[in-house]
Amino acid sequence: MDMLLQALATLMTFESVITVLVGVSAGLLIGSLPGLTATMALAVLLPFTFSMEALQGLIALGAVYMGSIYGGAFTAILINTPGTPSSIATTFDGYPMARQGRAYEALAGATIASVIGGVVGVTFLLILAPPLARLAVAFGPAEMFWVAMLGLTLVASLSTGSLLKGLLGGCLGMMLSTIGVSPIGGETRFTFGYPPLQGGIELIVALIGLFVIPELLTMAAEGRGALAQEGRFGQGEASIRQIFRRVLGKPVNLIRSCLIGQIIAVIPGAGGNVTSLVAYNEARRFSRDPESFGKGNLEGVVASESSNNVMVAGSMIPLLTLGIPGAPPDAVILGVLMMHGLRPGLDLFTESGVLTNGFILSMGLAALMLLPVGLLGARLIHRIVIKTPYHFLVPCIAMVTILGTFALRNSLLDVGIMLILGSVGYFLRLIGIHPAPIVLGLILGGIAEQGYVQTMLAAVVDPIPWLRLVHNPLSMVLAGLVVLATTTVLLPAWLERRSRPDRKASERGGET
Amino acid sequence: MRFTPTTLAGALSAVALIGVAGMAQADYPEEPITYVIPFDPGGESDVTARFQEPHLEEILGVSVNVTHRPGGGGAVAWSEFQNDAEPDGYEIIGVNIPHIIGQPIQREDAGFETDDWEIITFFHSTPNALIVPADSPFETLDDLVEYARENPEAVTLGGSGTYSANHLGALRLEREADIDITYIPFTGTGPLPAAIEGGHVSGIFNYTMLGVQMEDRARVLAVAAEERVPALPDAPTFKEQGYDIVGGAYRGVAAPTGTPDEVIEVLEEAFAEANREIASEQEPLGFVMEYITGDEVNEVMNMLREAYGPILEEAE
Amino acid sequence: MILRLNTDIAAGVFGLAFAAGLWLPRAEMGRLSILFPRAVLVIMTVIAVALIIKGMVRPAGRQVEITGSPRRLLVVMASFFVWWFAIGELGFVVSTFVALLLLTWYLARVHGPVAWSRLLRWVPVIGALVAAFYLTFTEILNVRLPTGLLF
Repeated sequence: MDMLLQALATLMTFESVITVLVGVSAGLLIGSLPGLTATMALAVLLPFTFSMEALQGLIALGAVYMGSIYGGAFTAILINTPGTPSSIATTFDGYPMARQGRAYEALAGATIASVIGGVVGVTFLLILAPPLARLAVAFGPAEMFWVAMLGLTLVASLSTGSLLKGLLGGCLGMMLSTIGVSPIGGETRFTFGYPPLQGGIELIVALIGLFVIPELLTMAAEGRGALAQEGRFGQGEASIRQIFRRVLGKPVNLIRSCLIGQIIAVIPGAGGNVTSLVAYNEARRFSRDPESFGKGNLEGVVASESSNNVMVAGSMIPLLTLGIPGAPPDAVILGVLMMHGLRPGLDLFTESGVLTNGFILSMGLAALMLLPVGLLGARLIHRIVIKTPYHFLVPCIAMVTILGTFALRNSLLDVGIMLILGSVGYFLRLIGIHPAPIVLGLILGGIAEQGYVQTMLAAVVDPIPWLRLVHNPLSMVLAGLVVLATTTVLLPAWLERRSRPDRKASERGGET
Repeated sequence: MRFTPTTLAGALSAVALIGVAGMAQADYPEEPITYVIPFDPGGESDVTARFQEPHLEEILGVSVNVTHRPGGGGAVAWSEFQNDAEPDGYEIIGVNIPHIIGQPIQREDAGFETDDWEIITFFHSTPNALIVPADSPFETLDDLVEYARENPEAVTLGGSGTYSANHLGALRLEREADIDITYIPFTGTGPLPAAIEGGHVSGIFNYTMLGVQMEDRARVLAVAAEERVPALPDAPTFKEQGYDIVGGAYRGVAAPTGTPDEVIEVLEEAFAEANREIASEQEPLGFVMEYITGDEVNEVMNMLREAYGPILEEAE
Repeated sequence: MILRLNTDIAAGVFGLAFAAGLWLPRAEMGRLSILFPRAVLVIMTVIAVALIIKGMVRPAGRQVEITGSPRRLLVVMASFFVWWFAIGELGFVVSTFVALLLLTWYLARVHGPVAWSRLLRWVPVIGALVAAFYLTFTEILNVRLPTGLLF
């Protein structure tokens, strides 16, 4: 407790507050550019932190991390492009809202949800770090395989229209994930004798291509911007207070999303990329009105954004206590800790407790700072996107996209892959194969493959190797959840099909 | 064949260089130097480069830009570097052993060759270490070997990557001790602490750094170095325990083939100087500082090629 | 523009073609590397076949609609690739400047012809934009952008 107060005191200096403010703003800016990820934002900041004290450096990193994860929501809502993988689910309802002229409501809702998520994550980190750390190590190869399978059941709910096409998209994504060097076996796969393909298809490259390019092509073909020009902005629209009430009026959704975010955040390797998808899926499953999701329901945005901001502090738990980076950006923070001679472990909370608690509290401060910075930034960016004529907007977004993709790995080939995937993705979308299942397959393919092959390797001495997949309680529970999730998805679809003739009569034909 | 245009280009740029070199060598360096790291930010290679960066800038008097070009376990950056980089000393790249030895043997299309550059120096090494959880029944290396001999394939050792330093080390142990263990590759060092702490593997074959990082939660049974590592004074070497296993990863930097010797020398000294400056920060983490330059580079390369080559080719 | 196309069969055929393309080069791979891709390929083939069968028995949609002008769609798509190629050959700044100017002009023509004076007014705006992004990336974010033949 002493340490907490002492840490709070060090944090309440003018210098620290300014660091957080600048960090959050910079992170927000970087995160909102497609292709510039939180990992990259942290890597860029790294050299600057050398000249700072350990705590100042960590404060800056935490603030940038928080800001950049949140920044992803901006592009997700305004141009249907997740700025970071963790905001994929934000596009599902955020973009339809923007098209209905409710962009500001979506942006403000996302901001409020992010602030709450961030604060909740920090609270968890402060009080529950050691027990949650124990949970983190319980996930071995077999468990990871089931986690990936559980994630893949999301395909069913992500595939608007046809389940089969969604599954095909998921397989497509998983196959794309196998291009390059195999994680186990070390051989090159599907490179067709072309050495640069050894690098494989980076998730974010595919993400940008599949989401942005079709959107740009559609805008170009239609000859107008996607958002309503006039955009009932400010007046007639919900005021901040109303949006607050709307977000907080559904506390169950918030609590559920935060808990999901926290649990997934401590599972090493799954990371923030899937938290928002899972939270979104559950929000829809438990909603009284699941049909309205995907058509501009604020709850969807809230679920996605609150859960992914819990993840920021949440993934610090395995990092600080065990030295396990839960999400890619954490690897950079681990590097900084090591550089300052700070060894992850419980010592970090006792011996250098002031420093660690200062760092954690600063993330809380950063989360709070998101509110003013975010609301202001949202208003600004929203106005820019709405006021810019489409013939400027399309080429400019294309330029930012190309730059972002290039910057990711300093690779021009990645830009080409992005464009090819995007162009193919446009036609795939026409025939009903949507980008979300493909990206999900790409995220989870690697996790599933590693989990499966590692388990099989460890089981070489067992008489029936695949039993290793369910050899302990946790893996059995996870396997059970997969079965449960599959049936709850398939059963309604099957029932619906059986009763389709009479349903059609009572309901007007669906949109797709 | 692919080598013809490449060699031609190499020869041409070498010719072009003779002209440039005359001017360049006198007051090299004048422009910013690009230091390519073929891995993701946050890894050991990256962290080391970040340590070096400010010192190099001070010594050389120009800015040194660390850029990342990850992919294919380093191969993407290396093949690009060997094909495109100008041999003027303004472009250097991090190189790692055994990656640069293993990948060309193992992959048909790695896109680079083990020797097609001038290795300036190897600045540090990270010896392999055999680490088991603190509550493991294996108190010593002999316990583990004995158990593995009675139960072939039952001992599972995690490590970073396939045919990496870790994997090769585990294969050496199998040969030296005449046992059969199961090596399970993970992607990078990141997931290994969880694997050991959660009891998903019997132990891990990783680097000394992880042994230091997990000091209070794990036990280092043996270190694959000639002498005990300063950061782990209580951990015996394999040699002490009767197994001739020395090896691990070496990190260094390379310049393109045909870079003038004068330039290489300047860089050699700069890296050695930077290395001395950062030793006090890196040694406690478990790194072993090295100052391998010139002919010694070839000695180390040959030594490791002999140690790993047969294992790799047999696996092929 | 509305195209007549059975989307189920189209998706199924695409899936089969994709699976076939990756099925062929898998021969020389080791067991550990091929285990997972092979499993996914088999599943993918099954799904694709199921889609084709479903498309014949009970098709979901028989037509797809490309909203807007298909010509503009293809021109912009092609121009992205030309732009990408030009970045490698000519360098980022020059090709991006030209690409932005041409694309803006092409897209603005939807609302009628673009006067020369208007085009000239765009030049400094686009120039400043490209310069700002170039400097941000090279100087602050430390990304080396391709310079190619020109710049």
